Amino acid sequence: MADPAQSDFQRAFHSLAQRVHRRHAGRLALTGAGVGLSLGALAALGLWALRLGEWRPFAAGFGALGALIGASVASRRRWSESDLALYLDARLGSHETLTTALAARGSEEPALVHVLERASSVLDSADPKRVKPKLWLRVHALLPAALSAIVVVSVLPLPPAPPPAPVAPGAERVQIENLKGLERIEALGQLQGQNPEQDERLKRLAEQAKKLRVALAKGLEKREALSEIAKLRDGIAAERLKLGDRQNRPGLDAALRAFSNNQALHDAQKALSNGDLTAFDDEMQKLANRAESTDRQAAKDALEEAAKEARAKGGKGLADALDAQKRLFERRESHAQALRELAQSLKGKLSAEALEDLKEFGNSGSPEAEKRLAEGLERALEGLTPEERKRLAERMQRELESNAGNASPMTKKQLEEMAKQLGRKEGIDQLKKQLRELAKPEPSDDAKRERGLDDAERGGSAAERGLGGMPIPLDGPNAPGSSDPGGKPQSGDADKGSSPGPGSKRDSGTGDHHGSTPEIAAKELRSKADARLSPGAPMHGATLGRAPARPGETANQLGTGSLGEAQKTEVGAVDHADIPEEYREQVGRYFEP
Amino acid sequence: MTDPPAPTFEARLVQARDISVRLKRAIGRVIVGQDAVVEQVLWGLIAGGHVLLEGNPGLGKTLLVRTLSSCLDLRFSRIQFTPDLMPSDVTGTNVLVMDGSSQGTKGRFELHRGPIFGQVVLADEINRATPKTQSALLEAMQEHAVTIAGTRHALEEPFFVLATENPIEMEGTYPLPEAQLDRFLLKISVPAPSEDELTEILARTTGKPVGEPERVLSRDDVRELQALCREVAVAEPVLRYAARLVNASAPDAADAPDLVRRAVRYGAGVRGAQSLVLAAKAVALLEGRAHVSFADLQRTAAPVLRHRILLSFEGEADGVSCDQIVRELLSGVLTRPVAVERAVQGV
Repeated sequence: MADPAQSDFQRAFHSLAQRVHRRHAGRLALTGAGVGLSLGALAALGLWALRLGEWRPFAAGFGALGALIGASVASRRRWSESDLALYLDARLGSHETLTTALAARGSEEPALVHVLERASSVLDSADPKRVKPKLWLRVHALLPAALSAIVVVSVLPLPPAPPPAPVAPGAERVQIENLKGLERIEALGQLQGQNPEQDERLKRLAEQAKKLRVALAKGLEKREALSEIAKLRDGIAAERLKLGDRQNRPGLDAALRAFSNNQALHDAQKALSNGDLTAFDDEMQKLANRAESTDRQAAKDALEEAAKEARAKGGKGLADALDAQKRLFERRESHAQALRELAQSLKGKLSAEALEDLKEFGNSGSPEAEKRLAEGLERALEGLTPEERKRLAERMQRELESNAGNASPMTKKQLEEMAKQLGRKEGIDQLKKQLRELAKPEPSDDAKRERGLDDAERGGSAAERGLGGMPIPLDGPNAPGSSDPGGKPQSGDADKGSSPGPGSKRDSGTGDHHGSTPEIAAKELRSKADARLSPGAPMHGATLGRAPARPGETANQLGTGSLGEAQKTEVGAVDHADIPEEYREQVGRYFEP
Repeated sequence: MTDPPAPTFEARLVQARDISVRLKRAIGRVIVGQDAVVEQVLWGLIAGGHVLLEGNPGLGKTLLVRTLSSCLDLRFSRIQFTPDLMPSDVTGTNVLVMDGSSQGTKGRFELHRGPIFGQVVLADEINRATPKTQSALLEAMQEHAVTIAGTRHALEEPFFVLATENPIEMEGTYPLPEAQLDRFLLKISVPAPSEDELTEILARTTGKPVGEPERVLSRDDVRELQALCREVAVAEPVLRYAARLVNASAPDAADAPDLVRRAVRYGAGVRGAQSLVLAAKAVALLEGRAHVSFADLQRTAAPVLRHRILLSFEGEADGVSCDQIVRELLSGVLTRPVAVERAVQGV
């Protein structure tokens, strides 16, 4: 009896339920699409801001994805029959008739049967339009809005590219094919060190410079390149012969005493006291060239005694350098003697200028005068007739015999050879060639090495400048910025280290000396003080070795001098140093421990 | 001779509705206004529960009960509660009766039944008696039986207690204990009459006396109504709603509204939930429905729950009323799941 009512109710209820389910799913899908499109619009905006223009239209896909998710959620959260009945009761105002009727299915209780009949009649009379859930919600307004936004953003021109971010300090990269200055450091590989260990170190420095050149050609962070150069410069500074260090200092003091006995050796003593072996070598060259044999002998004696004293005080490195200098001195002396004897032989044929050079050569021993004298002798030899050449050979032979071997073996041997050859034209050419060889400066090994290190150091400075860095002057007598022992400013180039500076009357350089400084717009020009800077090297114990700062490293590194281990002579060094009175107090305070 | 065919359920429903209409009309001839009170009293009668009427003196509470009893073909009794009323005055007692005969005088105990043995009992001004006397009603109301001198006496069905009380703040009142209150299905607040109603009352009561109202319901009619009420169907979601509503009245419930947490000491219990559903069934029946709706529960919530909610000190200090708590519960507890509710609202 209840069956027809039940089946009617079932049919009508399921019909409405399907309708409600569909609308519900559609509503959720639309909500999902709206939310998805909104996210898509945001994504499109983000892509626009990131200038990824071609991806913008794909942002609309978020809408489809959102719709799928909405539909999926709808199927997962599908209302139960009870929920549907509650919904329908609420919409139809049927006082939970349908909800109660759901439980009445299959029941034969009179009240439930009655409720089922009432429910069937409620469903029969229900207006489907009235019960269907609202499909469009306010949130669905997002759909057209978001879609329009995506379209607009998709056709919108991309924003201009942002300006490149400022490079962080120190993060700048440099790429230089051939950084000037590095080749001078690479040349260290050709230098001969004091010992095999130093040879190895110099070669390693040269190798590092080569590697840096290759790395710079590929591109390198600027601060790293500057740091590498600073390390190279520190390495170069460490290779310099340091006569003032703890080991050599007593020997140096003793050697200086040996040089202090003779006024003629004053300049050499000063150069040695400055630890400037290059200048010392120059001074010894001049002494070896001098005509006055007492000066030469005094120099030889001083070198011998200084080497002996230095060795006795433990300064082996200095003693070896002085021994080598003595041997070189004797060779130079014989060369100079040979030149002078040849000049005596050609005295009648020498020009007035050459005679003056001969005189200057004998007095000062200047290498420039030696060079000019050799050139004058060459010219004189060119002008000899065969007869004169023959007489010259005979005269030289006689002088050789009369000297009976007083001259140095080298000189005698050379002259005997020359006398044999002079009779012929080839002999003259040979003599001229030898004269040129004689005129060539022959620095000591230490001086050569110091010059090479000096040059490498200048190369390091140039490389730093090439990278835009500010080179820091390093320790050393010939380091950039320091003065030579004679008080002359350095030429700035090691190759010209021994040549006269610009302005010399015998300047052989190609520079233009007609320039002038611009007029200063002032009534007068006054200097504050007649300051005379110390021509010497930085005081012992000064710490100057520094490297550019790098993250994680210290900006300063300990100097290689004897800082903290002052000798007796260093006590009160500021007061005894050649520092202008007005700066003395400041300098003293600076070096106060 | 064959029995007449049993009336269909629908016919019974119609008859119940018809009876209720007639009953309300009959009462309306004597009682002016107070339609809601009359309606709620009928809920109690149909649901088989007892009713507590609260209101100031002189609002017609006693008259309402007397009129109702007049309309019902049930035995009526009245107990005027006073502070010196004893429990035996309510239940009755055994008295010694002397029989004079030829063999001599012989005494026996005879039960003198108290007013509780009526079918419609008016417990007038119940809160004027001491709690001890009030408690005499407990067994009768719950068990529909009284025990006198160790003998249990069943009360005749239907048994319906209608109590009236003055607001507890008045002088010489004893607040009813919670256990006693819980026995009442409904607690009905009797409001003061409006101006029109008062005018009508004056017109009716200061002239010629009005005759007794007609009897509308027989004893069997009342029992039929009460039986029919029990048959009214309740869907599971509706029962769940009733359960949620009652549970939420406890301050430590998870879904209790803030006001309940703050102002309630104890909420309604299981008897409260049962009363809620029974009262809702009565409402459905009076409206001619065979099932209960959410609205039925909401209509009965206040009279069913108001005397079962015990306010906390803070609630009393803040002047929170139990009706406020019920309103808060009705607005805070959802009838349907959220998704369904949102779909119904169209959001």
